[in-house]
Amino acid sequence: MGPLIPQGFVNPDLNLFFAFVIGLGFGYVLEQAGFSTSRKLAGVFYGYDFVVLRVFFTAAITAALGLLIFSYIGWVDYSMIYINPTFLWSAIVGGAIMGVGFILGGFCPGTSLVAAVIGKIDAMLFIVGMMGGIFVFGQFYDTFEPLYNGSALGGIFVYDSLGMSRDWFVFFLVVIALLAFIITRKIEDKVNGLKSEAGLFHPSYTAPFALMFGLAILILILPESPKAKWYETNAQTLLEEASSGKQYIDAEEVTYKLLHPREMDFMLVDVRPQADFLRFSLPGSVNIPLEKILDKSSKNLLADADNRIVFYSFGSTAADQAWLLTRRSGIENSMVLKDGLNGLFAGVFEYESDSLVNNEMSQFRDRFFVKAGEIFEQGGAIIKTSGKPSPVRTLVDIKPPVAGKGGC
Amino acid sequence: MEQKPKPYMNPYLAGFLLGLVLLAAIFITGRGLGASGAVKSVVIETIGSISPKYANNHPFYASFFAEGDGRPMKNWLVYLTLGMLGGAFFSGFMSGRAGFSVDKGPRISNYVRLGFAVAGGFLFGIGSQFGRGCTSGAALSGMANLSAAGFITMMAIFGTGYVVAYFFRKLWIQ
Repeated sequence: MGPLIPQGFVNPDLNLFFAFVIGLGFGYVLEQAGFSTSRKLAGVFYGYDFVVLRVFFTAAITAALGLLIFSYIGWVDYSMIYINPTFLWSAIVGGAIMGVGFILGGFCPGTSLVAAVIGKIDAMLFIVGMMGGIFVFGQFYDTFEPLYNGSALGGIFVYDSLGMSRDWFVFFLVVIALLAFIITRKIEDKVNGLKSEAGLFHPSYTAPFALMFGLAILILILPESPKAKWYETNAQTLLEEASSGKQYIDAEEVTYKLLHPREMDFMLVDVRPQADFLRFSLPGSVNIPLEKILDKSSKNLLADADNRIVFYSFGSTAADQAWLLTRRSGIENSMVLKDGLNGLFAGVFEYESDSLVNNEMSQFRDRFFVKAGEIFEQGGAIIKTSGKPSPVRTLVDIKPPVAGKGGC
Repeated sequence: MEQKPKPYMNPYLAGFLLGLVLLAAIFITGRGLGASGAVKSVVIETIGSISPKYANNHPFYASFFAEGDGRPMKNWLVYLTLGMLGGAFFSGFMSGRAGFSVDKGPRISNYVRLGFAVAGGFLFGIGSQFGRGCTSGAALSGMANLSAAGFITMMAIFGTGYVVAYFFRKLWIQ
């Protein structure tokens, strides 16, 4: 299901609207947390106020745990999320410069915006300085470029770099966060000359702390992935649909639509091997060989189809299998060409008029099949579709949707 | 009569809510939050409107005109930041915290504080380019999706902060 916009569930034009709404929440929470005052922010480095660590760490583990749970129940496709690429030395040098900037300026960019809008003059000047810094970076880009683009490691995950499993990493992250919360509380009390509480933490934190810890354990003990995801069709429904025979589309209808491309209201998907597809295919069809039917790019293509999907093969076995497999994985609106290409051509070329019935309808049918036969023989159907030889589209030509882009 | 500002939210609750905002951002758009990106857009848009030719041929600026239909301001992060300003103002105003002021340590004057604010901003401007994002875009969002870059940047920011904090203690504490 998610992320919604990269997967095409939400109109990309709404992207900026969502950005604004998410921004409202972001700004509200930062200001409420006290991130609009540099005194409080700098406290994390001097021990008199650890609010930054508490908010920052809680937010990071909340989102990380949430993402893991979402991906576990199939709500979010991890591969479609933007993972910021690692440029090792650029990240370290940049982080170090920002660290000094944090001490001198008392803000980071997000907090300075939040503070500036409620009237903090130091924050406004921080932003002015930031613009200067970005400008200078741009001016000296040529000098900085080797470092900026050097040691590129791609969008790697921290747990891979550490040689840990993702679940264990998140577990340790939560444990470290909880320990940090407890220890920093003690430090803060000491620096401020307050008497520390007797227990490890205030009793009112027992429940949330336990919840976080419990979720981290849950992540560890859950099996690899649940058997069925929410979007998958269950076996009983599948059986009913398959035995109803409603998934079949007549060769006659397909032939008619091929001859009248304007009325074409389905996407033809050829599930034969690519070699067969290249030798011959119905005009306008896309080739997804059966063994690739569950690949990510195939699924995206099928899920994004505006129209119905019609699978075809020589007979109908491979197309039937494709229908069943995709239907199982949640693709709706898919059909199978009845009796396959063989059936279609047999119908067109070996058409025999039913001499017993003779009315307007049957005459029309006769004329249609004769015409279809002629056109197929001359290859006219292809010319009629696009004016030039029909382009052969294979999966390689179709761009997969791009994962969300990011950057700060 | 001056009203007393309301107290700040419990930090863990605020962190939890911030985590939910971040999760919503990732769930809806596939990417995290960010703040320095919008400032960069303003800078690049300004350069572009002063000298379009220069900006379009510049290796660093040009790529930002390629996105967003040639307008760096028509950018996800810019709209996020506009929302952010709105949300923060609403929060500050409702809690009685809006009003011009300067926050500083007890031992320095306003001018010193403002001078260092500019310097800190300047460093953050450069650093956020190398880090490909700031504390929210690179570190926080990067930690949420468990990217290596997020953790490296986070540790570099706070690690360096602690190392140099001692030398600048006069700015913040007694």
